[in-house]
Order: sequence, then structure tokens, then C-alpha cells
Amino acid sequence: MIAALLYLQYHSFRNRLVSRVKRLKQPKYLIGAIVGGIYFYFYFFRYLFRGYGGRPVVNMSIPVVNMSISPEHLQLVELLGALVLFVIVLLAWIIPHERAALTFTEAEVAFLFPAPLTRRNLIHFKLVRSQLRILFSALFLTLISRRFGGNAWIHALGWWLILSTLNLHFLGSSFARTILLDRGISNWLRRLLVFGMAVAMAGSVWVWAKRTLPEPGSADIANLNAILDYAQRVLTAGPALYLLYPFRLVVRPFLAQDATVFFAALTPALLLFLLHYLWVIYSDVAFEEASVEASQKLAVRIAAVRAGNWQGAKKNQKAKRPWFKLAATGPSATALFWKNLIGVGQVLSVRLWITIVVVVAIFGVSLGNIGRGQNLSLMAAILVVIALGYSLLLGPQVLRLDFRNDLPLADILKTFPMRGWQIALGEILAPVAVLAACQWLLLLVGAGLIFYLPGKQEALFLAIALGAAVLLPVLDVLLLLIPNAAVLLFPSWIQAGKDSPRGIEATGQRLIFALGQMLVLLVALLPAAGAFVGVFFLLYFAFGPAAAVPLAAFAATIILAAEAGFGVMLLGKLFEQFDVTEEPAN
Amino acid sequence: MVQVENLTKLYGEFVAVNELSFSIQPGEVMGLVGPNGAGKTTTLRCLSGIIPPTRGTVRVGGHDIVRDAIAAKKQIAFFTDEPRLFDYLTVWQHLNFVARIYQVADYERTGRELLEELEIANKLDALPGELSRGMKQKLAIACGLLHSPKVIYFDEPLTGLDPLGIRRMKDSILKRARDGAAIIISSHLLHLVGEICSRLLILKNGRKIIDGTLGEVTRKFSEQPGDANLEEIFFRATSETGMPAPAVPPLLPH
Repeated sequence: MIAALLYLQYHSFRNRLVSRVKRLKQPKYLIGAIVGGIYFYFYFFRYLFRGYGGRPVVNMSIPVVNMSISPEHLQLVELLGALVLFVIVLLAWIIPHERAALTFTEAEVAFLFPAPLTRRNLIHFKLVRSQLRILFSALFLTLISRRFGGNAWIHALGWWLILSTLNLHFLGSSFARTILLDRGISNWLRRLLVFGMAVAMAGSVWVWAKRTLPEPGSADIANLNAILDYAQRVLTAGPALYLLYPFRLVVRPFLAQDATVFFAALTPALLLFLLHYLWVIYSDVAFEEASVEASQKLAVRIAAVRAGNWQGAKKNQKAKRPWFKLAATGPSATALFWKNLIGVGQVLSVRLWITIVVVVAIFGVSLGNIGRGQNLSLMAAILVVIALGYSLLLGPQVLRLDFRNDLPLADILKTFPMRGWQIALGEILAPVAVLAACQWLLLLVGAGLIFYLPGKQEALFLAIALGAAVLLPVLDVLLLLIPNAAVLLFPSWIQAGKDSPRGIEATGQRLIFALGQMLVLLVALLPAAGAFVGVFFLLYFAFGPAAAVPLAAFAATIILAAEAGFGVMLLGKLFEQFDVTEEPAN
Repeated sequence: MVQVENLTKLYGEFVAVNELSFSIQPGEVMGLVGPNGAGKTTTLRCLSGIIPPTRGTVRVGGHDIVRDAIAAKKQIAFFTDEPRLFDYLTVWQHLNFVARIYQVADYERTGRELLEELEIANKLDALPGELSRGMKQKLAIACGLLHSPKVIYFDEPLTGLDPLGIRRMKDSILKRARDGAAIIISSHLLHLVGEICSRLLILKNGRKIIDGTLGEVTRKFSEQPGDANLEEIFFRATSETGMPAPAVPPLLPH
């Protein structure tokens, strides 16, 4: 029976590979593959089977860093690795709440579940299938970790062992979770018990450290080395050494410095792997019903993502209120703006805002710590500038409620009695408005901070903030026009999501795209930059920098606005010419 | 109402629609039938302005679909086989959105009437993800009919509907025709075509095989009056030899 499952695995993999090779006949994939191949070679592959000291063939990439672990730090690194594994395993026992559900595709459910296969056969199939993913992950992680030295084969096998054991543990823990639920132990009780155990373990280490080691002083946390030294004292003696023992066994082969040490470490690690395997295989848990449900949800999500519809792929979508009342008459483009703003509400959830606030707060606190003794407002102002920079860099990528989201419904948009430019304008307005609002908010905060900055440059800084406030919305339009034009010009190149084309050729396509977008942006910015510089120097000597900056920004804005207007017309033309029968993203 | 002259659509060298000409008057319901790949969907897409024809002209209410697209599109509603909706708009927000696109000033009254008629008035705040397939189709229909189109295209309108939904859909199509709309229905369901269409256009490999009233088409493909039903006519019209398809033995023994 298992032979049939292996046959399915082998032929699915082979056919997928063949179809990917065949599509290299199309120039867009071939060029992508060449660029991606060059990237992977220079960035990863050339270090794979070469010592870390090997000289790079072409000196154009990040140099190899010698980060081989010194013998005195080996135990600490092993313990830190074990600690990371411990946290991952702990989360696997705490976070999930569903019953065990092996994820199968709908076709697998349709063919395998009614077939005369035992539950154990299905688990074996699942395990074999997951090996493919694990092998690729191990290879990829080896490419990265190999850059820091060590033996490639040891790294690859070490990664494989870690990932495979973790995979079995996740499966086993999901089975155990289901058994506990069947026996009346709720998710919250289980979480409480597991969390209690983790706290008890951490507490025992803390009590031991408090009794045995001297109190950590300021010297112990002065820098990274001091922190590592203290961590070594805590982790390499006492209960931590034993509590983390099984996890240490798993990471030990990866950290082996030579083949002898590797093989010595391999036996206990394999034994642990075997125990996990037996645990999974002999857990008699009914996973079929939950798996059928999971496969259906997965199919819906994949279909949504394949259609470029990330919103449809999200779970538990809720209806959102419109940001403003849409009158029945007026410019048609406003309808698209109104619609996309509602969609933005789905992306910018309360959870996202909380995450952003937490991340900014953590970043701010760390900056504050680094700059201890310096002016806190200066740190906050730096943060605002960084956030503004990131808004330009990441904003257009995150806010995709435009053609990138609506392209699967292009045929519906084309039935609307609207000109191309009206549709184009309506499509990009929502992300522009949200982005500009965020930037203005940041500028407002920045303007408030100006009065607390050291030095007497308030007028100049305010002038810069004013100039930025005028310039940024138009710049946002340009930044959003480029990816929107790209998606209309090369719809099959645009990556729709996690189920979009992957591999070397897809990486190459992304690189070409990123480069192309950067070039177009540079060309678009050049005239505006020229206008800015010209007006600035013209006015600088007469009125000083505080007057020159906003006026120069205004001049640059006029140029950018003209370009943006032209860009919207062009985008509209592209949409009118867009062929809805073009090859889909997948 | 719709005049098509020498409509041709090429994909590279592949001819999807070839020199197609026909016209349809207000109140007529035309069935567009043909085997898979005959060019039915491509034809409807050209007629609704979704894709431009390679050659030929399409005029809707006297307006050229390419040169005077806005005026032409204002009169059209196109219902695809799969209801195409915006995932993050509720039922009522869909109507509000469409009303602005088509400038329907009194959409609130019309919208409520349509939702009542289609029996989804209790789902105003539901997202498409919360609706069954049939309900999604009803919402798509409500959106399409909101601006009282004079020309309506249906691509497989009965897909996914329950028996009651099918009955209502047929009634709805006939009601719109009685109200003066010109309707084109692309479908493989020949009984639907036979029941509600007054005219028939059979396509094969992008070419028009025949176009006429049901009576005319029946007469042309019958050896004797009344010897052929629509299924027979379809097989005779689309087979290479012009002969009826061989009788298909039952799949299971009685």
C-alpha cells in the first residue's frame, strides 16, 4: 500500500519539476531563472562546499564571516539552541486549539480517505510528503548557516534531524492534544498545566542561580559578551543543563565540528527521533474528520490566494463600516475609492495597530537605551524619520487595495461605464490616502518634537516638515503607480501569494521587478529633484533655508503632480488595453 | 438593440470568434449555444466590452462598444457563470457601490425591491463569504439589474441554483424580456434555451452555424416537421456530418 503512496509522491514531484523545466521555454521564466540562479550562486551556493576562508570568485557579495564556534562557547551555543527548541516546543503545546488534523489536499482526501488504507498508512504518507519540504528547508538553511563556517554535510544532516524531529513532535503533540480533549481536558486547562510546568522549570533555574551565583551586576549586562558570559554560567551548570538535555541531543549533531563528533552525537539524536516516530505512529487518534474540514478550508484559501485575493484567504473576515457615506451620484472613481477604503479596514485591523504600536515602542525603548543620557526627543525624532522612510519603502507593498487586489475581478471592472483613467484613479486613491494620512500623522508628531530638540533649528525643521507634508502624498501616488502598472503589464509575473510560483525563477523575477521599479522611480524623481535643487539654491541666498525648503518642495511637488497625472492617464490606458484572458499568475 | 457585424476575435493565431454577425431586438431572448470551445464566452465578453474585438463592430443601443464605450456599457448587464463579488463589501454595500458606478439616484428603493424579489433582503449586512453560492448569484443579479439595463447577457445562468432558484431565474429573465430588455443567454442546458428563448444562435469553432427563431432553426434541421427536438437539432448542427449523434446506451443496466 505504501508503494502506491510513494508512487503518488514521486510522480507528483517529478511532474511538477518537469512542468517547471518546460515553462523555461517562455522567456519570462528563463530570464527569471538565469537572474535567480546568478543570485543564488553568488549569495549562497559558492560557499556551500568551500571552506569559509575560500576567496570569493567575484568580490560583489557580502563576504563570508568566520563565526566558527570556539570550544569554550560550544556548550553555551548548544544550550542556547536547545533553549530555542524548548520555546518552539512549548508554544506548540500552548498555542494551538484545534483537534489533530493532518493537512491533505482535497484530491488526497477524495482519493485516499475512501481507499482501503489504514490510519497508519495515511500518517506514513503524510510523513513522507513532509520530508520533501523538510529536505528543501534543510538545504536552504544549510546555504545560510554554511556562510558562517562549518562542514556543509554536517550542517545539512543536522538541520534535517532538527526539522524532522520537530515535525514529528508537532504531529505527536497535536495527537496528544486531541486525546486530552477527548478525555475532557480543555484547551485552557492544558495550556495552564503546560505553562505551569514551564514556569516551574524556569523557576528552578532561577532559584538555583540565585543561590549559587552572585547577583548579576551592571558589569554582567554591560555588553553582549558580558551577557553571554553570565548566560553561560547560568545555563552550563545546575538544572538548566539537565532540563534542556533532550533538546541538546537534537541540536548536538548540527554543532559537531568534525565527523567523529557528529557520529557520536548522531546515535542519541536518532534514538530521540525514533521515539518520536513511535509516539506518532502508535497514537490512535481519529484525525479524518478534522482533516476533511481543514482540507476544504485550505482549498478555499489556496483558490483565493491563486486568484490574488489575500482578503478572501483570510479567516473570519468581518463586515466593516464604510469610512464615509457614498452618495448615489457624483464622480464614479469615488466609488472605487470608497470600496477600497472598506477593504483597507480589513487589512488595518486592531491587531495590526497594536502590533505596530508594540514594535514602535520596543524599538523606541531600545533606541532610548542606546542613547541613554542623550535627549529623548532627539531619539523620538529619529524614530519618526525612520518610520517615514519605511512608509515610503514598505507602504506601497503593504497597502495593496488597488489593481493588485482587484485584478482577478478585472472583467467586472471592465463592464463598468467608466474611462480607464477613472478606474485607475479610483483604484489607487485608497492606498495613497491611507499612506499619506499615516505620514502626515508622523509629521505632526515630528513637528511637535522639533521644539524639544537641542539647538535652535526650529524654523528650518518646521520648513522641512512642511515641505515633506506637501511632497509626500504626490510621491505616494508615484510609488503606487509603479507596482500597479507592473501588475497590468506583467500580470503573470506578479507574485500572488504563498501559492504563487516559487523557486529560483520566481526569485529572479522578483529581483528583476524590484530593480525595474527602482529604475522607473529614479527616472521619475530626477526632474523633481532638479526642480527642488534649482529653486532651493535660487531662494536660499535671498530668503534663507527656512523659506527655501518649502518653496523648493512645492516646486518639486508640481513636477511630481504632473508626472502623477500623466501616470494615472497611462495606467488607465494600460487597464483599457489589459487583456483579461492573459495567463493567470499561476 | 444589439447589432454585431463581422465580429472576429483572435488570440495570437487562434480564431476564437470568426466573422460573427447578428442582431437582437428589444424583448427578444436569444440562446447562444455551441460545443465547448465554440467561442460563446468570448463572444459575450466582446459584446459587453470586457475584451476588444480584433475586427468587426458591436453596437449596443446605437453606441459602438469600443468608440463609445461609456454610453454602451451603461445599458448592459453581464452575469458571469460564477458570481463575481468583492469579498469585503456587504450585500448592501455592493448595491451602494454599483449605484454610484451607474449613477442610480433612487437605488435605495430599487435595491430593496430587488433584494425582496430575490429573497435576500435579510442578508443586508452579510459578506459574500457568508452567503451560499445561490445567494451570491442572487446578489450579483441584484447588482446587475439595479440600473435597469436594456441589454442583459447571461453566461450559464442556472449554474448552482436549486430548483426553486431555477424557476425564479427563468421567470425573472422572461419578465425582463417582457419589459423590453434584449437578452442573450449562453448555456449548455438546451431545455432552458428551448423553454425561454425566442431565438437561437449556434456557434461552432467561432463560426455561426445558424441564427434564427426556434421555429426557423427547427425547420432547417428537421427532415420532417416535428421530427427533431432541440437536442437533436444541436447535434445535427454541430456534428461534422450534419447527422444526428448516435443513441447513447444507458450507463447502468435497468
